[in-house]
Amino acid sequence: MPLLGADLRRDLEIRRYPVLVYALVPLAALVLQAWLPRVLGRFAFFDLPLVITVYFALGRRSPIQGTLMGACMGLFEDALSHHAIGVNGVAKTVAGFLAASVGVRVDVENTTIRLVLNFLLSLASSGLVVFVSRYMLGLDLEWSWYTVLFTAVGNSLIALVVFPMLDRLQIHD
Amino acid sequence: MESIFVRYRNVFVLLAVLLAQIIGLAMQVRRTGEGRGSLDAGDGSGVRLIRLWAQALVSPPERLIHSTSLGSEHLWQNYIDLRNVRQQNADLQKTIDRLRLEQASLLEDAKQGQRLQGLLNFQEKYIYQTVAAQAIGSSGSEQSRVFYIDKGSSSGIARDNAVITAEGIVGKVREVFPTSAQVLAINDQTSGAGVILATTRTRGILRGNANGQTEIVDILADNRIQKGEVVLTAGGDQIFPRGLPVGVVDRVVNDPERDSFIDVMVTPAAHLERLDEVLVITSTQPRFSDQQQKDIATSQEQKGAEAAANLKQELEQKKASDIMAERLPGLIDPNLPPDQQPLHDTSNPTQVAHPPKALHPDRFSPQADGGPAAPSVQDGQAAPAAEQNASPNQTRPDQATPVQAKPDQPKPGQAKAAQAGKPAHPATGPSKPAKQASKPQTPQSKPERNP
Repeated sequence: MPLLGADLRRDLEIRRYPVLVYALVPLAALVLQAWLPRVLGRFAFFDLPLVITVYFALGRRSPIQGTLMGACMGLFEDALSHHAIGVNGVAKTVAGFLAASVGVRVDVENTTIRLVLNFLLSLASSGLVVFVSRYMLGLDLEWSWYTVLFTAVGNSLIALVVFPMLDRLQIHD
Repeated sequence: MESIFVRYRNVFVLLAVLLAQIIGLAMQVRRTGEGRGSLDAGDGSGVRLIRLWAQALVSPPERLIHSTSLGSEHLWQNYIDLRNVRQQNADLQKTIDRLRLEQASLLEDAKQGQRLQGLLNFQEKYIYQTVAAQAIGSSGSEQSRVFYIDKGSSSGIARDNAVITAEGIVGKVREVFPTSAQVLAINDQTSGAGVILATTRTRGILRGNANGQTEIVDILADNRIQKGEVVLTAGGDQIFPRGLPVGVVDRVVNDPERDSFIDVMVTPAAHLERLDEVLVITSTQPRFSDQQQKDIATSQEQKGAEAAANLKQELEQKKASDIMAERLPGLIDPNLPPDQQPLHDTSNPTQVAHPPKALHPDRFSPQADGGPAAPSVQDGQAAPAAEQNASPNQTRPDQATPVQAKPDQPKPGQAKAAQAGKPAHPATGPSKPAKQASKPQTPQSKPERNP
């Protein structure tokens, strides 16, 4: 009976969105991620696909959906780069899974939690990219700490703005 | 069993997705001989298909955004922000007039240069055809500094085409799609361009680092390299034509991995972070117009005629030198074959100097040391052969060395023997001494010219 109660509460807290949101928001994130660096130049310290992955994983609270969402976004990013397809896919798959797993246990409405979660998951994603590239694939990939750090900070700040906007798109019963 | 899958289905799905991606990665990366991983220069068909789909999905919105921003900019610049346009127009018109005059003179030089390069079969690469394209998007990743342009294979763009701007080089085309292309910028870690420092003439490889800066690597420490030195393309990478501006030296740092090497940080001439319009070099092969081809043919004919004239002049000069050589004594013996001419004899380059033979020898003469006195001869009269052969230096076989056997003055008898192919004396060799005997010829050795 307690378990059933928990599932019922979890079902009630799962957010639902129109189908178009599931299609257009990730696409918009990918397009903006590809286009904004041309405008912002070297100050483009953000990873919008990761932010969107974390948002939907937290909102849906389903590790499977978070995993698949992260995998799709990561593979899409890899396809737009000139690196091997799958490096970002692995990183964002894990990030989506972790976000959804954590989202079951925490209050995702809290701003501080959102901020911290985005920061930590950004660091984890960047670390996984480096790990897969350098140690699993043996590629000569250099990386800089401050870029990783700035990207994590940028993702957290963007999440503060974007998450409330996306919250408005959910379906209220 | 079923409950395990249900209970841990999240983990199983995660592992399955990760495993599939890792297998996909393993298929794309191959090991080098050093044990490091390496990506193929070209994608496989499957990977390329994924990239094509991704690009097809992202490219239309990017084009829409790009065209919208261009339209807004166009609207602002051409219809709203028109202050001082008349004055600028007048200034530009003056500039155009001045540039036209300069262009007219430069055009002549360029045509002449092309003609000469064609004649010399000049292999240098020059830009002959470019395609203008707009940068519409990037990879969005710090680790992959590539961007996309709105022209592809339908516009004649191919892999490894160089991409430049008016300021300098930008990168090279890495992947080509029908209506778009992926360009690898020079500040990417996997890029490479052969460059040369303009002043110190130091060559190196330009590539990017993790921070998106361009640096020249694999350079031995050289304190002549200073900040501000211009960097140009070296032309050896088969992608960028030689002499294109790359940037200027920003600073020189020591290579952290190798002591005797340095890294030269370069500030790119092109604004890599904010590219808008670029030029793709689609052809570096010389293409001459019909008129230029005719000019080249004419020049070749003229060059052929000039070469023939030079050859004729050389033959005439040679003929004159032959005549002179024949008239000069001792250089050419008409009785010997060309390969045995004394002019070509290098067996004894340091000839022994002999004093001239006295016409009226006395006791102080070189041959007066106990020997018989030379018969008295008159100027222009040949010495009797019998008497000269009776000289003890030439008749004693034990002293008959080639040098000693060489007479100071050839005798008519020896000349006849050499002509007959016989030795003039048993002590001398069959042909060599005879040849040597004819070397120091004097007018006396040519009786036919004596009066």
